[in-house]
Amino acid sequence: MNKELLIETKQLQKKYVTDTVETTALAGVDLSITKGEFVAIMGPSGCGKSTLLNILGLLDSPSGGVFKFLGEDITNASERQRAKIRKQNLGFVFQSFNLIDELTVEENIGLPLAYLGVSKAETEKRVMEAMERMGIAHRRNHFPQQLSGGQQQRAAIARATVSNPSLILADEPTGNLDSVHGREVMALLTELNEAGTTVVMVTHSPSDAEYAHRIVNLFDGQIVTENLNVRKHVAELL
Amino acid sequence: MWQNYFKVALRNIYRNKVYAAINIAGLALGVASCLLIFLYVQDELSYESHFSKADRIVRVAGEIEHEGQVNKFALSPPVLAPILLKDYPELERVTQLANARKQTIWYKNKSYNEENLLFADSSFFHVFDYEFLAGDPATALDEPRTIVVSEQLADKYFGGAEQAIGQVLKFSRDSYMVTGVFRDQGHSHIQANAFLSRSTLDTKRQDVITDDNHWFHMNRYTYVLLRDKSQIAPFQEKLKTFAATHVTPWIKENELAANMTFMLQPLPSIHFNTVYTDDLSPAGNINYIYIFAAVAVFLLLIASINYMNLATARSAKRAKEVGLRKVVGAYRSQIIGQFIGESLLITLLAVVLALALVQILIPTFNALTGKHFDANFFLQPEIALALFAIILFIGAIAGSYPAIFLSGFKPVDVLKSDKSPKGGSAALRRTLVVIQFMISLIMIIGTIVVFSQMQFLKNRDLGFNKERILTIDIPVGDSMLVKQLPTIKQELLSNPNIESVSNSADIPAESNSTILIFAEKNGATLQNAMDVMFVDYDFVDVMGIQVKEGRNYSRNYKTDLKGGLIINEAAAKKMGWKDPIGKRIQMADWDAKVIGVVKDFHVKSLHTKVAPLILALVPESSGYLLVRLKPQNMPATIGFIQEKWQAFDTKHPMEYFFMDEHFDKQYRAEEKMLTVFGYFAGLTIFIACLGLFGLASFTAEQRTKEIGIRKVLGSSTGSIVLLLSRDFALLVLIAIVLAIPVAWYGMDKWLQDFAYRTNLSWWIFALAGFAAMSIALLTVSFQAIRAALQDPVKAIRTQ
Repeated sequence: MNKELLIETKQLQKKYVTDTVETTALAGVDLSITKGEFVAIMGPSGCGKSTLLNILGLLDSPSGGVFKFLGEDITNASERQRAKIRKQNLGFVFQSFNLIDELTVEENIGLPLAYLGVSKAETEKRVMEAMERMGIAHRRNHFPQQLSGGQQQRAAIARATVSNPSLILADEPTGNLDSVHGREVMALLTELNEAGTTVVMVTHSPSDAEYAHRIVNLFDGQIVTENLNVRKHVAELL
Repeated sequence: MWQNYFKVALRNIYRNKVYAAINIAGLALGVASCLLIFLYVQDELSYESHFSKADRIVRVAGEIEHEGQVNKFALSPPVLAPILLKDYPELERVTQLANARKQTIWYKNKSYNEENLLFADSSFFHVFDYEFLAGDPATALDEPRTIVVSEQLADKYFGGAEQAIGQVLKFSRDSYMVTGVFRDQGHSHIQANAFLSRSTLDTKRQDVITDDNHWFHMNRYTYVLLRDKSQIAPFQEKLKTFAATHVTPWIKENELAANMTFMLQPLPSIHFNTVYTDDLSPAGNINYIYIFAAVAVFLLLIASINYMNLATARSAKRAKEVGLRKVVGAYRSQIIGQFIGESLLITLLAVVLALALVQILIPTFNALTGKHFDANFFLQPEIALALFAIILFIGAIAGSYPAIFLSGFKPVDVLKSDKSPKGGSAALRRTLVVIQFMISLIMIIGTIVVFSQMQFLKNRDLGFNKERILTIDIPVGDSMLVKQLPTIKQELLSNPNIESVSNSADIPAESNSTILIFAEKNGATLQNAMDVMFVDYDFVDVMGIQVKEGRNYSRNYKTDLKGGLIINEAAAKKMGWKDPIGKRIQMADWDAKVIGVVKDFHVKSLHTKVAPLILALVPESSGYLLVRLKPQNMPATIGFIQEKWQAFDTKHPMEYFFMDEHFDKQYRAEEKMLTVFGYFAGLTIFIACLGLFGLASFTAEQRTKEIGIRKVLGSSTGSIVLLLSRDFALLVLIAIVLAIPVAWYGMDKWLQDFAYRTNLSWWIFALAGFAAMSIALLTVSFQAIRAALQDPVKAIRTQ
């Protein structure tokens, strides 16, 4: 694979220090993700997978090591720089959807564009496209609590993709959904990935992980195995 | 983006109606009070500002020092003016006013009693540029027997300003021709319905006001217009030697034992003059301005604290939104902007509501303060500016803490569903609640102290019986009427419901004369300035004044006329007389012996100590007729008196009042203050409780799970209410402990203004503390009981 590196980490560390206890969440993680990949991160509770995802998503900063995004070392980037990278390159999907209760579906989806300073007409157009893609256009004027879980997650994915990010980070995206809706969400993520978006997903579910190209197994803050998803590659080759 | 913020803000208000209502109502009440206070303060500070030369005008006040005691008068002698003008080239003009008080005016066979009449000299309108609706201010008062009337008077008598010119108003002795009409405008300590030409006084001597060269004849108000305002301080400096040059030689020549100095009062400060006596109008109290301004700030502060506390307490609810906005790329500054914008919006809504409130409250406020504010006041640029400042102040101050706090949330911490952030610093919130209650308590204690002092003043034994004395104001200058006084008294006494009748020149709560007396002490003669009331034989009886030594005046002793004097205890003490009866006093044309000593009685308000006083017998004194009524059938008796009086006095409408009301009028300023202050004190505690209500419901909400578990484990409703209320009770307790010393200090200072004052007894503080605690607990327990009565299963599940 000679594709361009999107993310590169060297000996990434994260320690949480409370009054008496020091907890190591990440103990030297070396991970490279190229553009267009679909990576699943797995591991038992407390292994550090969410911490890793948060750092990759620039929501948290590492305590040690090097973190490069698109070849640029941003290990010690300021909060403002990181916010800028977030809004230009990243999209997030959460287990609990995290839609803003006071905004309608349409307004929630348009939010990233508002912070990017996209014009009103352009926003309207792109939000409409995203909603249609996710099949929730008919729910545009509803508030999140008026939607089913599946619909909420589709709205959340629409919001994560509306700004055409190069990377989507998904934290247990099917965790709060039944299996039918869960499969639906995974299909959407796959579709996005096939359209060229890099996807990094944290999951407990082996069946969800099956959608990824590569599965990274984390244990006690370290990568223990890194497997190519053979079935997926074979499927693509065929 | 702003549209987005705006929507979120509005939807948040809509979804959290109770909290929003608490915030908006509290702020609206605070802002409304603030506006009313602003109007009041602005009005009080606007005195004299309509005179274009106000900054160059000063009044010369006279101080007479005698035996270490200094009497400070707003007045000065007539002789001062020409000498000032001659000696000091920096003075552009010097003008004097003399008070003609109340007079009866005849016009077209009708008579009216008019108040606030002043004699003014021809340069008066050069110094004070009144706007003239008719006539020429430059020459209006040049001629004797001319008068310049107010617009209101011109309308009343002649139906307009133009028609007034050249008309003649008849006074008891002279007729005055109207030469000008001025507009009633602005506030001034000079409250005049008409200015009479002072040169009238030069054409003949008149017993009301006399011109001469006596330096101690303090009966003029002297105003000086300087060429430049920077000359005020140097002029005051120069005046220090003035007395030495002009007054001291005269004092020596007349062998008087007193000293005189002259002090300057800048015109704008005169309204707040509480030092110099006998001013033209009652003084405003600058301390009340400070107090009210402080109250305004306090009210805003308390309402802002509500906002801060509720916003941060409830921040958990907004945490997810903040996290999300950050996830999609919001900068912290953008989030701060959003929340400050939100508080600005809330404040704006509160201000709109406040304006509506003020519209409703203005008539009541006018009645309370005795002012005349217009309901459209907010169109004034100053008010609009103040409103703008208020919005910014609350929006930014109250909004910034929640904004900074909320924008600090990390998405990682708040977006996981199993974590919910703590609602801000509980310690800070507690501190703010303590501050709120401290302020409220101080105001409540203040109100109780002022109220008990008022009661103390009203119920204190004045040394005379002020009840049921009907007092008729005898018109000035009607000699026929004065001659008939004995007959009138006889006829009145024929009514069995009239106990006694007296005629006197002076009564309590009105200014009386101060006269230089010569009294014997150990064979030597002492000079003293002393207050004198001129009274008849019956005054002591009618007033119910106690004779302590000697006797009252009696018609049986011919020598009592100019040969006998009654003094009060304070006078005897001042003279150092152990045995005052028979001591010799000379004053004016009296050469008299003391025939009686009366128990001290209050002539002035209880702000001042009872001064040494002489009751001098002048049987034909004709200032007031005092009629002591029996309690039975008073309306009929008053009717009888009115009928009898008008039979003798056919020319003037009879004017009367009751002595007790007249005396209590002296406390009207304090009473107004008490009422207004009381309302605001009530408001502060109300707004503070609104906040407490919000916090209590927040706490109950936050501890729903805990309450549920406790109930499952068998806790009673009572113990849960106690659990939830205890924390708040502790805060109020701390506030009580902190408030008491501050309130004690402040109110002790306020009471120092009164020579006779109530004690700051413990019950005042106990009552205030108890009231605050009860109100707070009532507020909190309402929420606590609601929480405690909830079905525990529901509580545990919803968490």
